[in-house]
Amino acid sequence: MDRLDDLKAIWHTANTDSLPTSDEMVMLISKFRNEKLRNKWLVIVASCLLSFLIISILFIVDFKMVITYIGGGLIAISGLLLAATNIRSLKRFYQLDYYSNQEFLLFIEQTLQNQIKYYKKTMVVIMAFCTVGVMLYPYEAVRQYPVLLICTYAALSIYLSFMWFFVRPRKFKKGVAKLNATRLRLENILNQFK
Amino acid sequence: MTTFEEIYNRYAPQIFRVCLGYTNDADQARDLVQETFISVWKGLPGFKGKSQISTWIFRIATNHCLRALEVSKRMPGAELPANLTEIYDEPQEDKLNFLYRCIAELEETDRIIISLELEGLPQTEIAAVVGLSNGNVRVKIHRIKEKLAQKIKSVWTD
Repeated sequence: MDRLDDLKAIWHTANTDSLPTSDEMVMLISKFRNEKLRNKWLVIVASCLLSFLIISILFIVDFKMVITYIGGGLIAISGLLLAATNIRSLKRFYQLDYYSNQEFLLFIEQTLQNQIKYYKKTMVVIMAFCTVGVMLYPYEAVRQYPVLLICTYAALSIYLSFMWFFVRPRKFKKGVAKLNATRLRLENILNQFK
Repeated sequence: MTTFEEIYNRYAPQIFRVCLGYTNDADQARDLVQETFISVWKGLPGFKGKSQISTWIFRIATNHCLRALEVSKRMPGAELPANLTEIYDEPQEDKLNFLYRCIAELEETDRIIISLELEGLPQTEIAAVVGLSNGNVRVKIHRIKEKLAQKIKSVWTD
């Protein structure tokens, strides 16, 4: 096309005055650079703290029943699993800067598969560990008070049923639908490289 | 060592034009420039010079463009105006908008490649940014130019 130079000339007439100055950009960066990852880090820190708190209690307090230790251990494990899953997904935010577009898209494809696996398997395992742990852990403390025992387990049952039969399926459906839509768009772009 | 300010002043307009070519949306392009330079700011101390700094920055920018596919539908494209001849002899700004609208009709990777080509990057560097061989990029650029030419030919005459 003999008009490429014309197009280049037109292309370079784009007004870039609206861009912030370098000083303004530095200010914007210091304000926003951690915002995106803040929630992920919060989940990691909170779940680690919870796990270490539970483990510390198990070591400090002299519980009489084994199920209390099992329950506490399962809650701690589910917290650590949640932290590990989030730490793993953080990698994508830190390791991508040297990737070409094609490598980047292949990485995203792999990440999508990991996320679908998370919804189908990892999330179920974490919730199962946490559920069993939460049911076992308070038993020793409330077993001598029948009313408290009934109230505690009724409240736990309602809460856990809500999480298992309402929150999780809804999150699963929404998450997988979004991931599948992204995967289709991704495949479309990857095909453009062929 | 080049400072962040020098890098920003040199590359921000280029990155903005490339992102605008991809998104056809000035606000979104500005956001992508910001995302790009957040990554550059974070990565600059560890930049080992395995590639040219421009290749590194354009990779970051175009990957941010592509990453948008995770969070939104296909980037806003544009329909060509019903009466193409109205663009003929229009002011420069309208010609620029028309060019963006033509580019917005291309596939995602083609938008990136032609934006980098129009920005004046050597084809070897475009190949390094996109992740294709030099030959492949050359063929693709030729095809994209033909596609663009078809759209524009009927509008712009000498």
